[in-house]
Amino acid sequence: MQPAMREIVVEASRALARLDADRLEELALSCQALNREFVSASLQDRSLLAAQARDAAGEMAVFSKVIEATGANLEVLHRARERRGNRLEYGQPLVRNWVPAENGHGDN
Amino acid sequence: MATISSAMSIMTGALDADQQALNVVANNVANANTPGYTQEVPTWQQSESVQIGGQTDGMGVTETGATSLRDRVLNERLDQQQQLASASGTRLSSLQTVQALFTPDSGTSSSTAGDIGSDLTSFFASFSSLEADPTNTSLRESVLSSAKTLSADISGAANSLNAQQLSIDQEASGITSQVNSLTTSIAQLNQQIETTSPNADAGTLEDQRQEDISQLSKLVGINQITTENNGLSITTTSGALLVAGANNYQLSNGMVDGVTHFFVASTATASGATSDGSSAGGTDITAGLTSGGGELGGYLTVRDQDIPNVLTSLDQLAYGVSTAINTANNAGTTISTGTVPTPNNIFSTPPTNVAGAAAAMSVVMTDPSLIAAAGAGDATGDDSNAVVMANLGNQAIINSSETPTNFYSTLVATLGSTVSQAQTENTAQSASVTQLQTQSDALSGVSLDDEASDMSTMERAYQSASQAFTILSNIMNSALNLGESTTVS
Repeated sequence: MQPAMREIVVEASRALARLDADRLEELALSCQALNREFVSASLQDRSLLAAQARDAAGEMAVFSKVIEATGANLEVLHRARERRGNRLEYGQPLVRNWVPAENGHGDN
Repeated sequence: MATISSAMSIMTGALDADQQALNVVANNVANANTPGYTQEVPTWQQSESVQIGGQTDGMGVTETGATSLRDRVLNERLDQQQQLASASGTRLSSLQTVQALFTPDSGTSSSTAGDIGSDLTSFFASFSSLEADPTNTSLRESVLSSAKTLSADISGAANSLNAQQLSIDQEASGITSQVNSLTTSIAQLNQQIETTSPNADAGTLEDQRQEDISQLSKLVGINQITTENNGLSITTTSGALLVAGANNYQLSNGMVDGVTHFFVASTATASGATSDGSSAGGTDITAGLTSGGGELGGYLTVRDQDIPNVLTSLDQLAYGVSTAINTANNAGTTISTGTVPTPNNIFSTPPTNVAGAAAAMSVVMTDPSLIAAAGAGDATGDDSNAVVMANLGNQAIINSSETPTNFYSTLVATLGSTVSQAQTENTAQSASVTQLQTQSDALSGVSLDDEASDMSTMERAYQSASQAFTILSNIMNSALNLGESTTVS
């Protein structure tokens, strides 16, 4: 059998926190192997895996939250990069000044 | 055609520019370990070209200053995640202290709050023992002894929770001065930045301001709003203004109904801090600060939500047990030969509004012969009322819906679940802070191409993690529903 599911989930959360893409790709492969084992497993092995799954439920919740936060961070970084790209392209100053909106255009 | 003199002039200018650029690099190296310092890069400006004899000749470049490599969007996200991580960390730490209170104290002879579950079992079991020999004084004393242990542990737990609440209240109130110190500093830096560098990066001044904002984020949940002239306004997450340009609005605290409330001054000149909330002269923003982020949000969540929830449950448990046992005891017959008091209670009468029942719980009966083991009008050797009181342990006497032991188990399980949830939140938020910190640190030293590579790595990590999560979720679902196969390959 592959390493316990709990270990995989904990390691995946840690790797994602430090953005270790190589390690995460290895873990994704481990998960695929685990899945193949599960499909062909005997009823007894499946029971063992069910126990592992219950054991890993808390860590899965953490992993899910870290993935969610990473997705949000990635979106922010995309926007920040886009913003910097535009700034260089149009030669704008590095500090963007706030300009008050003009009155009279739909202002209520 | 350019002369040798002009060529020399260009070379001299280039050397000067290089020297100044080296100074910028030296400054970066010198400040490598300065907290909050952002790496600077030299800014080059092409010198005006000259036309001699119809031919245009360049005049080289000059170094016009340094620009800090900062990204305000990234910093804001980092501050936002930091305040969430700080809040959940503070909440988790306080909740773990609360949870420790309810850990069974096995291995020692003394009984504590953690033994309430076994106390309940022992207490109702003591009535079962009394059924066998209702007039036995030793068994009657055993009932009172069990009642005393139960009430002492419940009231002890309530008193410990009240003490923890008070301690957290004091910790929270101590944050006010730190917040004021930081908002004052940010307002002063705003003024300097707006005055000295309204249209450009203000270098170390902005570094100092960012460092202050990061510190403030750890203390309290904030929103940042960029204003004109490179200024910054800061509000709490609930919208109360703390800094507006060069002005800051002081936070103060005062006692309201026995607990510390937080006020924000309505004018920038108000000094704020007073010992009495009613004269603080500001707006009460306590509710908005709770769950708003930062250490203060974490403390207030535990003080105003988590601990009161546990205390309310303990009160309901104490009220339910005391009321039911007292009612049953008053309905039976004692073996006392003296005057039977009215009411003939085992436990002190709980407050009618339930609140405070746990802290006030105690045993008022001192004479074991006053335990009414016999039924109303029955002979003293009768055990029917002892049976009634023993059976109360298996009846829904708490909120008319749960047995005492089940209710207590739910209380402990709910507390454990809250701690677990706070742990999950904190672990995930800390991971998010680590990611953003890494990106923020990397930003100042990389080109856009390198940055694109970093982003690509982050996307790979995200996609691989999502893939692993999907597969694991499917395996878990299938494994927990044995016999159902998974389709993920």
